[in-house]
Amino acid sequence: MSSSANDIDEIRSGFEKSGYICSSQIATSIFLAQRLQKPLLIEGPPGVGKTELAKATAELVGKPLIRLQCYEGLDEAKALYEWKYGKQLLYTQVLKEKLGDLMTGAHGLKESMSRLHDFDDTFFSEEFLEPRPLLKALWQPGGAVLLIDEIDKSDDEFEAFLLELLADYQISVPELGTIKARTTPIVFLTSNNTREIGDALKRRCLHLYIPFPEAALEKKIIAARVPEASEKLREQLVAFVQGLRELDLKKKPAVSETIDWARTLVLLHAQDLDPAMVRETLNVLLKFQDDIDNVEGEVNALTSKAQAAAE
Amino acid sequence: MSDVLGDFIRALRAADVRVSTSETIDAGDVIQLVGYDDRHVLKDALGQVLAKSEEEKTSFDEVFDRYFSFDQFKNQKAANGNAEAEAEGGEGDGDAENGQQADDQQGQGGQSGEGQQGEGGPSSGGGSGGATEAGEGAAAERDLVALLERGDQTELQMALAEGARDAQLNNIRLFTQRGLYTRRIMEAMGLDGLNEEIDRRQASGNEEGAENLREARDGLREQVRDYVEKQLEIFTANAGRQLREEVLSQVRLTNVDRSDIKIIRQLVRKMAKKLVALHSRRRKVTQRGVLDVRRTIRANIEFDGLLFHTIWKKKKVDRPKVMAICDVSGSVAQVSRFLLMFLYSIQEVLPDVRSFAFSGRLGEVTDLFKTEDIEMAMATALQEHGGGSTDYGKAFEDFTDLALDDIDHRTTILILGDARSNYGDPRSDLLHKVHERARRVIWLNPEGRSMWNSGDSEMRRLQPYCDKAVTCASLKELERVVSEILRHAS
Repeated sequence: MSSSANDIDEIRSGFEKSGYICSSQIATSIFLAQRLQKPLLIEGPPGVGKTELAKATAELVGKPLIRLQCYEGLDEAKALYEWKYGKQLLYTQVLKEKLGDLMTGAHGLKESMSRLHDFDDTFFSEEFLEPRPLLKALWQPGGAVLLIDEIDKSDDEFEAFLLELLADYQISVPELGTIKARTTPIVFLTSNNTREIGDALKRRCLHLYIPFPEAALEKKIIAARVPEASEKLREQLVAFVQGLRELDLKKKPAVSETIDWARTLVLLHAQDLDPAMVRETLNVLLKFQDDIDNVEGEVNALTSKAQAAAE
Repeated sequence: MSDVLGDFIRALRAADVRVSTSETIDAGDVIQLVGYDDRHVLKDALGQVLAKSEEEKTSFDEVFDRYFSFDQFKNQKAANGNAEAEAEGGEGDGDAENGQQADDQQGQGGQSGEGQQGEGGPSSGGGSGGATEAGEGAAAERDLVALLERGDQTELQMALAEGARDAQLNNIRLFTQRGLYTRRIMEAMGLDGLNEEIDRRQASGNEEGAENLREARDGLREQVRDYVEKQLEIFTANAGRQLREEVLSQVRLTNVDRSDIKIIRQLVRKMAKKLVALHSRRRKVTQRGVLDVRRTIRANIEFDGLLFHTIWKKKKVDRPKVMAICDVSGSVAQVSRFLLMFLYSIQEVLPDVRSFAFSGRLGEVTDLFKTEDIEMAMATALQEHGGGSTDYGKAFEDFTDLALDDIDHRTTILILGDARSNYGDPRSDLLHKVHERARRVIWLNPEGRSMWNSGDSEMRRLQPYCDKAVTCASLKELERVVSEILRHAS
């Protein structure tokens, strides 16, 4: 066993302590992201714990999580930095008042100009810079975990604009020059694949695909997240959800839905699955009326199958 | 080490995984970080650096499993081992397994990515009475005779890999090159020396020794051939398919063999995906044009009404509405099938497609194609609207009844047909009406231009009311047309 395998196991058990149960693949990706200092692009169906992974990592490494939610029309003024216009205005007014003092005794235009040049120019300086999430992550003294959530929702231009940050951990502010990261942050990007992410961005990132978890892993997740659920119920509900995923649905239930469902069933004091209760709580698992209608006929079969599987 | 990686990446590229140079460098870093010891970790780690989409991950897993499994020596081990033990008994020049070689083995085992360490070790331990010095061991490694007699599989493996590199096996492309490369590798491994040794033993009367070596040589040849075949498979796994796709995309769809339809369907999906990626950017014009006064003032209240931010009116570019009128009679049906498949595969960027099928009478098949699987839908459409002799006049009549009111300046009309109306009136006046209302009318004719207007073809009378009339018989041409529709839209 090499040291890397040990490190990966360590990451995994670290996650487990904070309640995030993951496959070895996910642990490997965190290990690589840390060691290679590369951003990690996470893809997968919604609700498999992409965002959760970033949160768990922040907890594991003990660094603050800085989150940037992407949306259409997000631009650098909201993501990166903004000038504090109001203060800059006040500054110019103060400057105007001071101008008289500064210029007293200056002879001729030339001397005035040179005095003005000597004067400290702070109009465009870091003092007037309002950091937004990306800049905050670079400035964070001890380093940070930066989560750029749902990058696929942003525009292409924004994606292109991220490239500099992702490759070199620096950003350029035209008025100031380049700002480098004080400590290299750990960067996560998540995508739901509503559109294809550009090659240039993919090239700069490690790529992790998180699929729906296998039964064993899902059971562990439920055990960690909903410890109140009895073991029998846990086995049955995981088997039920796994069976549900094999049907042709508009939106298959993800882990987050399984957890919600487990919580619902616990609230209803269920000890094991029965078709009537499943039918009543189906809307926790399925988010489309079409899907619910389709599945309703199969509930009996699925429930008995789940009960058999849990035996 | 980097050769192994280089070849692996070449194999990946052959399997349709796009790997850039910077990713190759990353992969090198990853290997340095995790090493070759743990196969699972290596696979997970390399997968995250090299394969960057779901499909690529699947290909990657396949290639990885195939590439990092050099198991052809495993099976032969026992038989060879026995032969070698005998040979060593006779000759008494068996080499000692010393610590240095054990070390070597580990390195080699690591390189092949498969835990074969120690397997070859004990097999040659038998006749090591007159152990030679370690220095000679190193020299003998180069010698094929000694290598075979030692029967150390890991070492043989190494020698084989080295020979393959010398013979540039990774350039192999064709099935017929197997013999050539097998021979080259054998030569690189020292076949000449081996043959000489056999002759020498024969001459000096050592029949048994010569026979053993000959057997070992034949065994080795088998192994080398196996190895070559496996490599051929790795490096050319997809070359055949790629070539086929290339050809199929240009061949006339009417001439496509039934057995190729599956490949064509995949191909259409692939092309459609490319088009979607190309056109899925929602085009918006901002930062120019008309100032949005109301929003600008609101955004600048905090600055005492000084206008710092300017906000411009956004202009979203519409997606085109497309109506496809498809002849589904006879030979045109095949082309119609793929046109419809194309149109429905790019729903993401072309959400508003209405399709109509006709041969005698015309009917709308939009819902059919939206809900059913494409093959089923096509079959149903053929059943409902196929049959009967083609009548463009009737078809246009039905079309204007059904859809003329919905045609506006954003609508593109695609007509796919050979314009052979069985000498009936094609009702070009109706097409004229459609043309006046629609943004564009494009006629796709699967027949070559020289065939137009021959016999009962009515292109002459219909063409004036089309903005464009093109031949469209192959997938490539289809793609071009669809791409153009999209380009005009944006």
